Amino acid sequence: MGLDIRIPLGLIFLITGAILSVFGVFTRHSAIYSKSMGINLNLIWGSLMFVFGLVMFLVGRRQRWQDDPAPPRPWERAESQSPNRH
Amino acid sequence: MTLSIIDWLIMLVYFAFVLGIGFALKRYMRTSNDFFLAGRSIPAWVCGLAFISANLGAQEVIGMGASGAKYGIITSHFYWIGAIPAMVFVGVFMMPFYYGSKARSVPEYLRLRFDEKTRAVNAISFAVMTVFSSGISMYAMALLIQTLGLFHGLMPEAWIFHVSILLSAIIVLGYIFLGGLTSAIYNEVLQFFLIVAGFLPLVWVGLRNVGGWQGIKHQLPVSMVHSWRGMGHANTNPLGVEWVGLAMGLGFVLSFGYWCTDFLVIQRAMAAESQDSARRVPLIAAVPKMFFPFLVILPGLIAVSITSGMRTDVPIASSRRSAPAIGGVVAGAAAGDAVAKLGSKTDAGQVVQDEHPHGLIPPKTDPISGRPVLDSAGQPVYNYDLAIPAMLLHFFPTGILGLGLTALLASFMSGMAGNVTAFNTVWTYDIYQSYINKRGTDEHYLWMGRMATVGGILLSIAAAYAVTSFNNILDSLQLIFSLVNAPLFATFLLGMFWKRTTGHGAFSGLIAGTLGALVHHGLTLPVDAVPGIHGGWIAVVHRYPSDMAQNFWTAIFAFTINLVVTIAVSLLTKPRPEPELVGLVYSLTPKPADQHLTWYQKPGTLAIAVLAVLVMLNLVFA
Repeated sequence: MGLDIRIPLGLIFLITGAILSVFGVFTRHSAIYSKSMGINLNLIWGSLMFVFGLVMFLVGRRQRWQDDPAPPRPWERAESQSPNRH
Repeated sequence: MTLSIIDWLIMLVYFAFVLGIGFALKRYMRTSNDFFLAGRSIPAWVCGLAFISANLGAQEVIGMGASGAKYGIITSHFYWIGAIPAMVFVGVFMMPFYYGSKARSVPEYLRLRFDEKTRAVNAISFAVMTVFSSGISMYAMALLIQTLGLFHGLMPEAWIFHVSILLSAIIVLGYIFLGGLTSAIYNEVLQFFLIVAGFLPLVWVGLRNVGGWQGIKHQLPVSMVHSWRGMGHANTNPLGVEWVGLAMGLGFVLSFGYWCTDFLVIQRAMAAESQDSARRVPLIAAVPKMFFPFLVILPGLIAVSITSGMRTDVPIASSRRSAPAIGGVVAGAAAGDAVAKLGSKTDAGQVVQDEHPHGLIPPKTDPISGRPVLDSAGQPVYNYDLAIPAMLLHFFPTGILGLGLTALLASFMSGMAGNVTAFNTVWTYDIYQSYINKRGTDEHYLWMGRMATVGGILLSIAAAYAVTSFNNILDSLQLIFSLVNAPLFATFLLGMFWKRTTGHGAFSGLIAGTLGALVHHGLTLPVDAVPGIHGGWIAVVHRYPSDMAQNFWTAIFAFTINLVVTIAVSLLTKPRPEPELVGLVYSLTPKPADQHLTWYQKPGTLAIAVLAVLVMLNLVFA
């Protein structure tokens, strides 16, 4: 398949991580963290997710998705020249 | 429960990605092969994560958390005994036949190895079970959404259940219709990482709260923190099973019957890019699977370790509908079925000591009167199925709460989608193409696959409402699942490893095994049950200490009967000529060459590593 799963996986973690960390920064001293024993889970976990997402995204972008071993079918030859396919 | 805009935003991002993946993959769905088998082009690690994710429905998450809270770390047997050895076996020994035979589904393998009638039995029973499993998943999700009051205030209470069913149906339909198996697999990988990301911080904060594993050990009764203590006799451990029943029934028959023959999981491995990859899929899957008890069972233990008195601050909306245990609806999976029995013991579970701690677990309330449900002794009944949701609400502040709920919803969807993709493939290849329209074009079968997806979802909705309307349908379904699944592994074992096995033998063995299971069920009864759906409807010849023990022994009987009958009938009938069986039977197939792989890529190495870690985990928590 022409889509590397690490790209959407990276993106969803980047976006979710960013939302959580930004929210965590704005709520630094908020009372909501008494629930999580004073740990700012949004900021800590959000930034970890962001880093994971970044790594996945970059690896997905850098590595060619090499697992499309089936040669293009005859009727797809023209299509396979299109820039969308690796 | 009220969610903030941040929580909603996180859930929305997830749903956008789920559907987005479907749209992105749509243009790659050119042939039926792309749609049903992901073009056999997916790398091993992706298939491996999908392999466990497809099985990790929320019934499992909810059910495992519930039984962790109720029985303790002993629940980990469902992973360590009830999954890992079978996953190693299917990867090392069986995958070369599934993948190498070029069969497109497990029933099709039976067609190649045996004959048409054996395939038909397997295909039809499997198709029916997937539809019901997916419906039960849908029902459980809607029930949980309603119980948690997720949509509270957004719409009239009476709508919530229906809207939840409809929404989940539309989303799953959308992404499978567009991207087929690839879409399901990609989403399962997404779901896998989200479940880990959502539950890991929960375990972290929870463990800090109770003082780590030592704190839990200090707080809970000894029987809850050791997985092997008291397994010598059924009366000395909370499961009510002795180690023979556990090892043979769960560890061998049920677990091998599920992980080695169920097309729902095998389909993920069949989508791998090469035979080497396909063999690695279950082995790669086994690694995270081994550690899942820490993610799903541990929260249950933490939930009961937290000193009671704090539970009042957990606002769980009372639900309108009477709520049978969500954990009691695990379906399809034979091993999962045993778990279901675990979860459904809520009302009768008397093995549990009186001093059993409740921690965060909310008492069950009667949805109509709003009063707590009491058992026959006047004690409140606790709703263990809410162990994990209660933990999420207790520890997660707004923001990450959205992530936790997303993880929970993701696990429901992966369970549903797995069933739907397995259904559309078996329907199209093994029923439609085999018996209804043999000469369609590939394009026609691709179209049929999409239609089967729509049909499968509609049938699932019907099944979900059937479960809602008839109270005991869940129990009956679980019973049917276990009767059909129990004998299966004997057929595959003999088919793959004994070249003399014949089609007539396999067919009669399967039928005899299922009948044997039925008769055994009719003759035995768990100690605390009355004759009826729980057994003993012919006559009560033997009483088991728990319904789990009965379930395990039913499976052992079914397996043995199938084995004996298949061997006997095979010896009386004419075997197929050996050249026809090359690639289908162990002794006639060249051993898969793995010299070209580096040592760490070899399935054998991986298998040994997995088993070594497994032994260590068992020793640590013995």
